[in-house]
Amino acid sequence: MNSDKMHFVVIDDSKLDCFIAEKVIQNTGRSESVRTFAAATDALEYIQTLPDDKKTVVLVDIQMPVMNGFDFLEQFEKSVPQEKRSNFIINLLSSSINETDQIRAKAYKFVNRFLNKPLTKSTLENMLATM
Amino acid sequence: MSKPEKVKVLYIDDEPNNLVGFKATFRLDYNVLVANSAEEGFEMLEKHSDIKVILCDQRMPNKTGVQFFEEITPKYPAPVRMLLTGYTDIESVINAINKGHIYRYITKPWQETDIRSAIEEGYKYFVTTSMLNVKNEELQKAYDELDKFAYSVTHDMRGPILSSLGAIELAKGSDDIGEIKEVLGMMEKSLHRMDAFIQNMHEYYNIKRGELQIKEINLTEITEELNELFTMGAKVEQTRFSINLQQDSPFRSDELTLKIILNNLLSNAFKYQRKNNDSKFVELDVNVSAGRATVYVRDNGIGIDEAHINDIFNMFYRATSESVGSGFGLYNVKDALRKLNGTIRVSSKPNEGTEFIVEIPSK
Repeated sequence: MNSDKMHFVVIDDSKLDCFIAEKVIQNTGRSESVRTFAAATDALEYIQTLPDDKKTVVLVDIQMPVMNGFDFLEQFEKSVPQEKRSNFIINLLSSSINETDQIRAKAYKFVNRFLNKPLTKSTLENMLATM
Repeated sequence: MSKPEKVKVLYIDDEPNNLVGFKATFRLDYNVLVANSAEEGFEMLEKHSDIKVILCDQRMPNKTGVQFFEEITPKYPAPVRMLLTGYTDIESVINAINKGHIYRYITKPWQETDIRSAIEEGYKYFVTTSMLNVKNEELQKAYDELDKFAYSVTHDMRGPILSSLGAIELAKGSDDIGEIKEVLGMMEKSLHRMDAFIQNMHEYYNIKRGELQIKEINLTEITEELNELFTMGAKVEQTRFSINLQQDSPFRSDELTLKIILNNLLSNAFKYQRKNNDSKFVELDVNVSAGRATVYVRDNGIGIDEAHINDIFNMFYRATSESVGSGFGLYNVKDALRKLNGTIRVSSKPNEGTEFIVEIPSK
């Protein structure tokens, strides 16, 4: 198991959920940096500027106004070249019980996991351990 | 009392005498149109979209009545079709009835009473069928909305609960009282958001299903209420709030629906302010004259991007990542205005502000 530190990017329009994610991530001790974004467009700009010496874990909420989680995946696919994509570990977060969302998420090869909210220490550690 | 409009009936026959006789007999009771060939019949249908009943002779030189009905059914399915025929044509008639092309047939030579009762019954059938179609469309719309509704409710109602659960989990693992208090404050906001959502849902139901109670509206009282409701928050957020009411004729409407409209527009105006603007304002202007209320709600907040402006009235649409909209408010406003036969216009510039103009006729 590797214990390298990673960059974390959280995208969620709920401030509380961003806050929770930030704390939970910090508590794992695996974060080189944590940044939270309310708007997916801002996050997309930010991840292009990250140095690629470390992996980046992205946690993105599905239901958001303006640019939702799936729109983010589309834009990510367009703007991040394929050879760089493996550097990102993209995870979707959702509070909906809707199966179609999960099925839709599976269509994207670069999506690592589909996580149900709330994000807890154990879900996150489990995800990091099985990456 | 206005008389109910006469039923528009089209009669097609190649015998000019029959046409004249038909028109003479029924013109007082029905709005009678006549045509002496299938081609002329087509033209009539083209010109008069409100034909309810068509009577057509079976034996015509170029086309039989059955053929005529077969041809028009795909394009004009609504009018009730009746065939006039002698007993000798019975085979083709049975065929046409079975295929659903005609509603009934009348034997020739026709009797006035037969035609009269056929038109009456045919018209009743027409009304029932079109009412059923309208109801079906409404039902389809309601189902579509329900689908959208169910999807969003799982998110919008579960969201704050899951956030709070996550926050509790976090607080349980923390010994830092400052951090725990911070989490509590955020949980509070999250629960308020859910409460607002439930209130919006209640409004949604009221607008959809509630009966209008039209009475004279005391706008002075309503604007005072709004003043009380929003002034507190305005002070906290340091937003200047002004209300201006001018009324020179009485205004009749449904009070609850009207309040839903004003409340939602105002709460949006306060919600979508620019945080670092040091001269925030919200203005409400209500003008009633000549049996018409015009309401202006203005703010100098974040504004709405042109790309989103056409979508803001859609259910669950949210045009911004800022603040905490439910995606319900403006949908409810538009729906409420539909009930009051009102209209709404919006003009907005990002980072400058938004103006909503609502017009409602007095009932």
